[in-house]
Amino acid sequence: MLVLPVIERRVHVLEVENITRLYKNSGRGVEDASFEVYPGDIFGLLGPNGSGKSTLLRVLSTAIKPDSGSFRVGGMDGLERKREVRAKLGLMVDRPTHYGDLTGWANAFLFASFYGMDRKKAERALAELFDYFDLAEYKDEKAKTYSYGMGKKLALIEAMAHRPELLLLDEPSLGLDYTSQLAYQRKIQDLAESGAAIVLASNQVDEVESLCDRVVFLHRGRIVAGGTPDELISSLKGVQRIVARLRNPVEYEPIGEVEGVQGVTPEGRDLVVHCEERPGIVAEVVEATVKAGGDIVTLSVERPNLEDVFVKLTGEALRDEDQPAR
Amino acid sequence: MRINPPDSYWKKDVSLFFSRKFALVLKFLYPIALIVPVAASGIPPQYGAAVVGIVALMAGTFGAGETLTTDINDGILVRLSLTPRSPYRIALEILLVNAVLDFLQLLPALLITYALHPTSLIWMLAATFGVFVTLFAANCIGIFIANFTTSPADVLLYATAILFPLIYLSGFFRNRHPTGTLATIRDFIPFSYMNDALGVVFGMAGGFTPAEIFVYPTIICIVVAAAVCLTAPRLLSPRL
Repeated sequence: MLVLPVIERRVHVLEVENITRLYKNSGRGVEDASFEVYPGDIFGLLGPNGSGKSTLLRVLSTAIKPDSGSFRVGGMDGLERKREVRAKLGLMVDRPTHYGDLTGWANAFLFASFYGMDRKKAERALAELFDYFDLAEYKDEKAKTYSYGMGKKLALIEAMAHRPELLLLDEPSLGLDYTSQLAYQRKIQDLAESGAAIVLASNQVDEVESLCDRVVFLHRGRIVAGGTPDELISSLKGVQRIVARLRNPVEYEPIGEVEGVQGVTPEGRDLVVHCEERPGIVAEVVEATVKAGGDIVTLSVERPNLEDVFVKLTGEALRDEDQPAR
Repeated sequence: MRINPPDSYWKKDVSLFFSRKFALVLKFLYPIALIVPVAASGIPPQYGAAVVGIVALMAGTFGAGETLTTDINDGILVRLSLTPRSPYRIALEILLVNAVLDFLQLLPALLITYALHPTSLIWMLAATFGVFVTLFAANCIGIFIANFTTSPADVLLYATAILFPLIYLSGFFRNRHPTGTLATIRDFIPFSYMNDALGVVFGMAGGFTPAEIFVYPTIICIVVAAAVCLTAPRLLSPRL
């Protein structure tokens, strides 16, 4: 009797093939994006503002049609079977809004109902999530009285309550306090462990690095690299990051001219220098910083992270100058 | 049936309608403030009917259009449309609930008008129904306009541009007894039937029978509502 070897094949939850969507007025958007996401995956879309992350999520959420390409969710064509695909999705947009004159609970209940949950199931799931995200005591207050962070948590609840197969999150942790961030990250991991797939668009390196199993970098609408965070970081041999906390802002262009420096990124009060690992470079960077008028408070040399990978790949920073690092 | 927390679009709108107490009082008072002094005056019947008709048209068109464009701008309507709920059902619920809520606002003023101008029950019912179908048609126009703009101010502009010729053709102020093509066109405008029935309430002779006032605008409104609901996927899509 012929015994065939058992080949383990994971069925993908999301399959994206050559999605292109460019905005006519700006020419920006996303081009030729392809990837797959499997059950239990937390998949990161990492890129600076305007790199195409939100556009890609808009296409995947069925909000807009791509110019070309296709995607499938749970094997169903996302362009042809929109309503069935939407039933499998959980979605949190980057700027969530609610009906301000309805209570937080009423808003969440409305979404749960629209996702097909019956009253009892919805009430049970929402009670658990409101409690989990510390919103239980505010559930009967009007949504317009919620702070930005509370509104984000309410949007997370609306995205998760119906236990979607695929959760699309756009900058989910932006505006959340530290405790809420931890709570949200734990919840994401729980959902993934229970088999849901999560696509997380962010430019928060530490969040993506700690949460995501796989990551793709988006740069000017194109996927420029992908892999696990460890693979991507270990591809950077001989690279380090020097983080200098300054008492005052400085003109940092001269620092970028030091031999071996690949990029300089201001992050709040810190100046992050992405550079080669070679003898003497730390002293040269310090010298250039001091010459530029920088008053260094603290200095550390750190292992590279995903941001260094992005800088190496594109020569550009991942965050805007006015966006604080965490 | 529980309205709050809402599990459908229309329940959400009803919850919101009754959640703002001060706004609610104003919503009921302004039609009374506009219509009752006119009804109580010795104004010629055609102008009395025209005032009530225009209040109904404005309430319906601007109400739906402005609410919708505000929700579209907020992004909340697009977010709701990304759930598995049918966009056609959402559009139909928007249409129906707005028409019914507008009607509720006008009803006290209408009842006072009937008290001031008593007429037969059938004509009161015909006029009341005529006002409802007018509100329904006006909401259809408001929703149609929201397909093309996200600005509440634009809604006012476009609504005015659409309503003026329709008001003329309906015979509110001029063209009361059209002939030929104008007469045929008039029969296809739902507001004409309301205007005619209200004219009877105010003491004029009517051009339509009560049965015509119940049947014809109903058919027209069903067709118009179906056409407007077909725009739902566009109406609820993000405007980029």
